[in-house]
Formats: sequence, structure tokens, C-alpha cells
Amino acid sequence: MTNDPPRQQTRTPESRTIRAVLAGNPNCGKTSIFNGLTGARQRVGNYPGVTVEKREGRWTEGSFQVQMRDLPGAYSLTSYSPEERVARDELLEGDYDVVVVVIDSTTIRRSLTFALQVLQTEANVVLCLNMADEARRSGQKIDTSKLGRLLGVPVVETAAHTGEGLDSLKAAILASSLQPRRAPQPEIAAVLEDTRTIIEQDDAAALHRSQRFAITIAGILDQVTVEAARPDSRASTTRIDTVLAHRWFGLPIFLGVMYAVFWLTFTLGEAPMGWIESGVNWLGEAIDTNWPGSPDSPLLSLLVDGIIGGVGGVLVFLPNIVLLFLGLSFLEDTGYLARAAYLMDRYLSRVGLHGKSFLPLVTGFGCSIPGIMATRTIENERDRLATMFVLPLMSCGARLPIWMLVIPALFAPALRAPMMWGIYLFGILLAMILALILRGTVLKGDPTPFVLEMPPYRLPTLRSVITRMAERSWMYLRKAGTVILGISIILWALTTYPRPDSFQVDEDIAAGAQLTEQEIDGRRSAERLQFSITGRVGTAIEPFFRPLGFDWRIVTASLGAFAAKEVFVSQMSIVYALGEEGAETDLQSKLRRDFSPRLGIALMIFMLVGTPCMATVAVVRRESGSWKWAWGQFFGLTALAYVLAMTAYAIGGLV
Amino acid sequence: MSDQTAASNLTPALEDYLETIYRLVAKSGFARVRDIAKARDVNPASVTPAMKRLDQLGLIDYQQREYVGLTTEGETAGRRIYARHQILTRFFNKFLGLPADVAERDACTTEHNLSAETVDQLVRLFEYMEVCPEGKDHLSRFRACSAVHDNVPECEHKCNSFTLITDASGTHRLTIADLEPGQRARIRQIESKGAVRQRLLDMGILPHVHIEVARVAPAGDPVWIKMQGYELALRMSEAKAVTVEPVTENSP
Ligand SMILES: Nc1nc2c(ncn2[C@@H]2O[C@H](COP(=O)(O)OP(=O)(O)O)[C@@H](O)[C@H]2O)c(=O)[nH]1
Ligand SMILES: [Mg+2]
Repeated sequence: MTNDPPRQQTRTPESRTIRAVLAGNPNCGKTSIFNGLTGARQRVGNYPGVTVEKREGRWTEGSFQVQMRDLPGAYSLTSYSPEERVARDELLEGDYDVVVVVIDSTTIRRSLTFALQVLQTEANVVLCLNMADEARRSGQKIDTSKLGRLLGVPVVETAAHTGEGLDSLKAAILASSLQPRRAPQPEIAAVLEDTRTIIEQDDAAALHRSQRFAITIAGILDQVTVEAARPDSRASTTRIDTVLAHRWFGLPIFLGVMYAVFWLTFTLGEAPMGWIESGVNWLGEAIDTNWPGSPDSPLLSLLVDGIIGGVGGVLVFLPNIVLLFLGLSFLEDTGYLARAAYLMDRYLSRVGLHGKSFLPLVTGFGCSIPGIMATRTIENERDRLATMFVLPLMSCGARLPIWMLVIPALFAPALRAPMMWGIYLFGILLAMILALILRGTVLKGDPTPFVLEMPPYRLPTLRSVITRMAERSWMYLRKAGTVILGISIILWALTTYPRPDSFQVDEDIAAGAQLTEQEIDGRRSAERLQFSITGRVGTAIEPFFRPLGFDWRIVTASLGAFAAKEVFVSQMSIVYALGEEGAETDLQSKLRRDFSPRLGIALMIFMLVGTPCMATVAVVRRESGSWKWAWGQFFGLTALAYVLAMTAYAIGGLV
Repeated sequence: MSDQTAASNLTPALEDYLETIYRLVAKSGFARVRDIAKARDVNPASVTPAMKRLDQLGLIDYQQREYVGLTTEGETAGRRIYARHQILTRFFNKFLGLPADVAERDACTTEHNLSAETVDQLVRLFEYMEVCPEGKDHLSRFRACSAVHDNVPECEHKCNSFTLITDASGTHRLTIADLEPGQRARIRQIESKGAVRQRLLDMGILPHVHIEVARVAPAGDPVWIKMQGYELALRMSEAKAVTVEPVTENSP
């Protein structure tokens, strides 16, 4: 790095855009600071490595505009996980005016290592001592100006979640972009020079470098520590951990917590679901009765049956999804999920996964897409692929509408919560078995190291939990608004066209059959649907699904679920509404009439295991880097689903 | 120097006998034949020919058959043999870091084959290493180096600025995996390699750092450790590669 990069130059007042980047250990509060500085919305997590993608935001300061990027967390520039590599490449090759190194003040001794590594590059560094509130509470006092003098960089204390110190940080970023970095004290400069070979991977050199840093940091801290933290500063976290991470109670508590989250999701979600449902129905009827044109108009059918019916059917499940995400966000923000990874690691590693597989898998309960993206935090490629492969077996939020449709329709109230719990559990067990098989065959190899930081418990701010929940719910809604709207229209068209010219039912009446008006309508719609493209495809492949108990309507609706799982529900409502217009409005009572419980179970198994949605296929392709994995997963899981559903249906027939 | 000639004519077995007699005489002023037999772990009857030979060489006084004494020449030769044995044992044990029993055995097998000059030079080297401050420095550097290089012949001064503590006896190897919840220890070495080693170092697992085991997971794995203000969970497979020494007092 002898030839001067542009960031070393003194900036002239005309250059109005400052490029800044946030770097630091996982969990030190980068994303919270990022949100505080830019006002952007973004995931805020307590599990090391939540931020995988870089996020960008900006703010203006007088005539300057600051562009900021949030890097994934890294413990060192030498490490090997994909996200640490992203951070390293950005810091070594990215052309930034200012690098803000964020440090968790409560672990300053370790975190300064990363700061020193960044100082080895020639970037303009601003050191941000975050979690100042916690450090203060622990009794720790740091002389920041002395620290700044020693290292030759501005040092700012912040508490990101209250916004304390963020204005000073903004000012420091601006100031530091306007002048080249000062040199650190000679003895520190000597260490930095001496250990320059950052990317060298020699074992002896690594120890040498780490020890030089540790000694240097001990020296620095000796000079700048006005008061050291009390040794009992983690006492309350330790007290909580004696229960939550208890050797024997920890796991039952964890399972209980997960059960409680699901139970609350469905109990509290019931009332708002009713409101949305009646709202959607009211809207459909209002349009229907006030329609100025003919009641047979295709436009009316498109609007009421296609759009309102389809999107409304998905919208109904928003309360469930909001509540589930609320629970998971809270667990994540408090730091409990790291304990869960610790408690679960032995079992996960036994099936060839990693404690770190746990977060992606849990995220998969919300949606497979962010779950698959979160597998980047797993260092070993085989662990990552195995996790990715079984991830769609985690019952995602999009499948929730299917369970919410089928379970109350077919099972007694007392059986509903256990059924729901059961389907999630079934997915988990199957994922374990599958992972074990994968790690024993195609993905053979040693497991990766498990060295996970256990952050102190932090009571998340209401704002951060709500923000996160809103983000995730918004992701779901946006999908409902765009993808599902589009699919609803296409499926409506596929279920409407081509239209038949004549009906069998008319011939029957001519032959003397006695039918009510309603029955005639119903038969006519049914014939219309069977005549349509969907009906034809569904009918054509129906025999293939007969061992599973599926009729052509389920097959037709399943075709929609290829595109997105929740489409199954809207598809079912279209199929039934079109087929039996005006007969029964409630889809569930229709299911209760047509479905046996064993068909319900076979259907749920097929929907849980089979046909990951198109978005999953696309993301697996991107994250695994090969179509082989994406399609292998798609067809492998679908074949497995077919066999399992058939078995379940056959066994159900015996009892 | 007649004793030199006499001593240099000795077979290994005779040297061993002379050494034994020297030790017994040094201890109690005389050596009884059955004590010699006991110390050498042989039948008293089979000692007799050796005694006769040593007598012929003028190294021992074998007049009384039961009590054996040393001549002046015999004493000198015995002392030399005994000192040589001691030096070699200490050299192997203290210097090369071999376990005591291995050092003792190797000293016994090599001592008869070394010339007096070699032994003298070894003694000087040993004294330099043990007594001279610079030598001590070199000794610890040598230990660090031998731990670090491990099949890498080129030296790039990687071991210059730190000291690794090698276990002198080589028998007690305590790791984090051996600690019970509540036990404190100081880290000695990180024996893993490659990515795992790098990760451990990055997380602050370094020689001399104090740790405490907080708890273990339900299946006994991973182990949860506390260290200088933060807490980590490690799998047993990682914990087994970090050697420690127990810390009992309430030091920070
Ligand atoms: N007490 C306290 N908590 C903070 C502070 N900054 C962030 N947090 C919390 O620390 C956790 C991790 O923060 P996050 O921004 O996700 O860290 P990142 O992994 O570095 O992006 C979240 O629960 C935050 O609410 C702070 O200054 N003080
Ligand atoms: Mg983050």
C-alpha cells in the first residue's frame, strides 16, 4: 500500500460526497448505529452475524452528503467465514473516505484487536466506543482523548439504542474525511508495522501477531483506563443464564418458549383475523352489489374472485405472521437465541449441522428466503449446504395460511394446537434425518469449529423489536401485493379460460333432470373450471396423485403453490368460489364437508415437505452457486413428500 | 594416568557395577555384595566374577569378600561415571524436556558410549544454559522455537518475542475440556491448527489468559467459558486442543 489511495488525500470543499463504512465485531451495535445515523430500517440482532448483506444509507450534513455502508460483523481480518471475508475485502480494497470501527466498550480488550488490524490499513479511521451506557453501568471509565492520541484517530463514545453520542460521531466522520490520518504513537506504529502480514495464514505467525496485539492492547488500556469495570458487571446475565442455560432445565425451557410463541401467535391472532376476513368479504360484496355493468362481466369476476379473493385470502394471515415475527424478534434481540445455539449445538452437530445452523433454521419458520441467506454465517461449506438443503422443511410463514385453513377445518379445537405443534416438529425431525443422510453421503467431511460468543442479555427497545417485526411483515405484505397479486390474476385467467360453449348440465335438464337454480349454477361453474387450462392440467395429472387422496382441485391448487406456498389458499378459494358460486361462503366449511382428516394430514405433509417455492429455488441457486443444488433440492424434496404423503394417507386408511 | 587406562578398559557392565559401588560407598562408607546385587537387580552369585575383574584392575578392595571398598583410582573412576550419568539424565530431562523415566533410561544406554571429552563439553553447555542469564534466555527461546517450528526447518524469527511453556515432564496435559464448571485456569498453549487456531486466537484465547468454566451444555458439550469480560461457548473438540494450568488462588 505504498501508492497513495484517494482516501489519504485532503478533501477539497467541492467534493460533497463522503463515503463511510461501519466495521466491527458481530453484535457490537453497528446496525443500531447505522439506523441511528441514516434513519434506515434494517435488521437489528443479538446473534453474532445477523447482518450478512451490506446495507447502505445516507444523510446530509450541511453541504456534505455522507454515504454509509454497514459491513457484516468480523472478529478479525484474518478469518475465514464468508461474511468476514466480505468485510475484509471491503476494508482492504474498498475505497472509503472514512472507516468507522465500532467497538463494544464492555469487551474493549478483545475488540481493540480488530481496531488495530483496521489501523494497519491506511484508512481514515474513527473509533466508536459503543454500548457506553453499559460500560458506565459496569463502572468502566476510559480516557477517550488519551486513547485517541495514542492511536492517532478520533474516538467517540456512543450508546446507539438511545442515540447518545451519534451527533459527535457524525461530526467526527466529517472532520476525519477532511484531513489525513495522524500517525499513532511510535510504539503502537511499530507493532502495526511489525504485524503487517494480515492475510498470512501461518500458525506460528498467527500466534505471534495475536500476542503482540494483546500485549500492545494491555499497554494501551493500562494508560487510558481511568476506572476498570467491576468484576461482577455481568452478574444479572449470569443469574439469568443459571436458569435459561441450565444443564438440565435449559432445553425444556427452550422448547416451552418455542411452544409459547406459537401458542400466542394463534390465540392472539384469532380476533384480528376475523376482522380482516369480514372486511375482505364486505369489500367483495360491496363491489358485487354496486357493480354498474352486467353480473356476468369478466372484469367483475377478475376483481372480486381473482384479486380480492386471492390477495384477501393471504392478507387474512397477516396477524399470525406479525405475532410470530414479534416473538422471534424479541428472542433474537435479547440474546436468547445464542443460548439456544449453545443448547442445541450438540444435537445439531450430531446430525452434521452446526449450532450456527440454528438461527437460519429458526428464521426459516418466518420465511425460507432470509433463512437461506443467513446460512452465510456458517463457515464450512458442507455445513452451509446441508443447512440450506433442509431449510425448506422448517414450516415457513407462507405455509401458515395452509395450516390455518386445514387444521381448524378438520380437527377438533382441542387438537388444533397439538396438530400445529406437531407439523412444525415433524418438519424439524425430518430435517435432522435428512441432514444426517446428506452429511453421511454427498456432504461427507469434518464439522467446523464452534466458537460462539454469548452476549449479555439486553432488554431490546420497543422500537427495535417493532422495527424488525414491521420489516419482516412488510416483506410478507409486499409479496402479497406484488407476486401474489400477479399470480392471483394469472391463476384466475387460467381457471377461467378457455370458456366452454355448452354445458352438460343443460343437456341433463333438456333430458328431464330436476335441479334447483343453485345446483344448476354450481354444476355450470364446475364444468367451466374443468374446461379451463388449470382444470385440464389438474385433471390430467390427478391419477398420479390419487394414491395421496388428492382430487383435481387440490392438485390444481398445488400447482399454484409451486410459485408461492400461500397461493395454495387463494387458489383453493378461487377454485371453490368459482365452482360453487354463492353456495357456501366459508371455505373451511367446504373443506370440512369434502376432506377426511387423513387427507388433511397427507395434504399438510405434501405441502410441508414438497415443492419449495420458486423464490427458494432461485435463492438456493444464488447462495450455493449451482443449479445442481437448487433443482436437486426441489425434486428431491418433492419426491420425498410424495412418498411420505402417500404413506400417511395409506396408514390413515387403516385406522 | 593409570586409572584412565583402567577405567577406559571397562565394559558397560563393569562401569555400571563401579557406579553402583560408588553410590553405595558414598552413601554408607562401604558396599555389601548383596546390596550391589539388589541395586543391580541380579543374583549375588553372579556379582562375584565382576568383583574379581574390578579387583584385578585395582579399582576396588575385594579382600573381605563380603564388604567391598573403593581404591583411590576406583573412586575417581566411579565418580566420573556417576556424574556422567547424572548429567545426561538432567540434560535429557530438564534441557530436552523428556519425562523423568525416559531421561533415566536414555542416560543409562548412552552414557557408556560417550567419550570423556564429549561429556565435559556437554557439562559446560549445560552449565551455560542453566546458570548464565543469557543461556536461560536461549533455553526458553529454544523451547518456543521447537514448539513453533514443528517440522519447519527455516527460522523466520517467529518465536522471538514470546515464550511457550513446554511441560517439563510431558505427562500432565490439562486442557479446557478437563475442567469442571467453576474451575479457573490459565491458558498455556493453543495446539490446534489452521482455521480453528485462527478463530480461537481471534476470540482472545491466548497463552496466559485466565478463564473460568461457567457451565456445560446438556450433553456435556459445548463448554461455556468466561474470560476477561466476555463469555464463549466452545465445542469439546476445540476445548481439547487448548492446554491450561489450574489457578487456585483468587487472582484476576
Ligand atoms: N445497551 C446497549 N445496547 C445496544 C447498544 N447498541 C446496540 N445495542 C443492542 O445490541 C444488540 C446488537 O446490536 P446490532 O446493531 O444488531 O449489532 P451488529 O451485529 O453489530 O449490527 C441489539 O439488541 C441492540 O439493541 C448500546 O449502545 N447500548
Ligand atoms: Mg448488524
